[in-house]
Amino acid sequence: MAKILATATLQGGAATAAGLDLLGLAAELAGASGGSVTVLALGAGARAVAQSLLAQGADEVLCSEEPALAQSPSEAGLAALLEAARQVQPELLLLATDSLGRDWAPRVAARLAAGIVTEATGVAFEAGRFVGTRPVFGGKAVARMAARTKVAVMTVRPGAGSAKPPDAAGQGSGGVRDLGLEITLQPDWPEVVRREVEAVSGPRLEEAKIIVSGGRGVGGPEGFRVLQELAEELGAAVGASRAAVDEGWVPAAWQIGQTGKAVAPDLYIAVGISGASQHMVGCSRAKTLVAINTDPDALIFETAQLGLIADYREALPALAQALRESS
Amino acid sequence: MQAVVLLKQVLDPEIPQKAFGVDPDRKVPQVDRAPQVLSIFDGNALELALRLRESREGVRIVALTLGPAGADDVLRKALALTVDEAVRVSADSVGLDSQQKARLLAAAIGQMGPVDLVLSGRQAADWEAGQVGAMVAEALSLPCVPFVSRVEGSDPLLVRQQLESGHAILRIPGPAVLTVTNDETNVLRPAKVKDVMAASRRQIRVLDMADLGPLDLGEPQVDLLSLSLPPGRAGAEMIEGESAQAKAQALARRLRQIGAV
Repeated sequence: MAKILATATLQGGAATAAGLDLLGLAAELAGASGGSVTVLALGAGARAVAQSLLAQGADEVLCSEEPALAQSPSEAGLAALLEAARQVQPELLLLATDSLGRDWAPRVAARLAAGIVTEATGVAFEAGRFVGTRPVFGGKAVARMAARTKVAVMTVRPGAGSAKPPDAAGQGSGGVRDLGLEITLQPDWPEVVRREVEAVSGPRLEEAKIIVSGGRGVGGPEGFRVLQELAEELGAAVGASRAAVDEGWVPAAWQIGQTGKAVAPDLYIAVGISGASQHMVGCSRAKTLVAINTDPDALIFETAQLGLIADYREALPALAQALRESS
Repeated sequence: MQAVVLLKQVLDPEIPQKAFGVDPDRKVPQVDRAPQVLSIFDGNALELALRLRESREGVRIVALTLGPAGADDVLRKALALTVDEAVRVSADSVGLDSQQKARLLAAAIGQMGPVDLVLSGRQAADWEAGQVGAMVAEALSLPCVPFVSRVEGSDPLLVRQQLESGHAILRIPGPAVLTVTNDETNVLRPAKVKDVMAASRRQIRVLDMADLGPLDLGEPQVDLLSLSLPPGRAGAEMIEGESAQAKAQALARRLRQIGAV
């Protein structure tokens, strides 16, 4: 009977799609292990989303809207997570591979003396313990890992689970509770002095159904405008490889890969991307991967389903037009 | 101000898949003449430290690594970029989990007198766990700011943290651990030839387990059950055509056929 504690990431007062996928996975694992799911919802709006979390697989929701969670998210969130773990006594603590999940997971594991598996693309309940599968060495190998300890901590990439359809009748037995922890900002805690939101037109990368992504082969910031035009046509988001970010062509928030973002769109169009494994880790969960490159030997043609050897400056506008005409 | 930068030597992440093998019994990679490099994000962390030293008076940088003598290469690289001191904790890190590595590194840092900042890459380019930096913070009882890309102000210390939707500026009131992510401002600079030559003559301080005093590393808390190659790929179906336009039209048709658009 395994208790699972999962965190819910809120964005603009709502649970993110990745958060709901994580909850779906938690519910699935609870089913397999005969356990239950408690979700910890942190930050402004936590109470408001709690009911929807109950409808999507949580047996119980713990909430905290302490102001310190916005002022010092790392430290205050860690305190909240430790308090939730103390109350729930979970066997598995599941976090998303977003910035907060990646931030808290190793620290909470250290505090709980728990074994930790990060960046899992799949989690299964096998012979009484939770086994995480994850790419390592830039996706060139796959590792299966499990904690030796009574408590395991895992961070899970988007796509490892899928959100359950909302079930209004399936209200969790445990209901919604306040975490009941007062969190006071400590003098040694780093504090957010301001936040700057990157202006994004169109969908967010993590939630986009279609992504048009560019690498070094795009050649410069002006080339990314060609990608953006196709993206607008498709209602897609624009991403980039690390090379394009390091060159300063696009903001770091666009980066997809081993770091940056791991995305799972229906369609991923990789333009001028060589296919270095660090990048492929971030996009390999795309249902369909199209590579457009002038280099016939580009590594990316090994991974892509569809390949096109062409200059993107000609191919992308023609693709946009062809899709417009036949729609 | 003393800043310690954690550097890890890793198997070159640019090794192509076809040259990469695994030893399924020992659960380690198997690569002929495996080239070793400085883990990429640790390079970003080092660049950030160098920039911090340029932006305020009295910053001393210590480069710290964990590993066998071969790992000295990454320290030589750091010395060539004029870090003030280089230290290696001499231990075979194979078989240690993140928590144990963090305890070793924290013990070494504990011997360096007052340390104001510890910087590390956000994750290493081999196992990609992204754990050790944060666990060093825990072992030293310091706060941790992950995914820092820039130093925005040095008094008080302000850093930029990269987030999904943009970034945050954080004020760091005291000693802290920063894990560093890349952006266009922190690409590691090349070393000057004269500094490379000078670096080859400089000392690397080596600490072995006995130097670190009584230290309980405990047992590893994670089992590596298997390490294997990913399933083979069939390779792309290449879209043919007379011109880029014709190929694009054929691609559009194919995408519709498979229901991708």
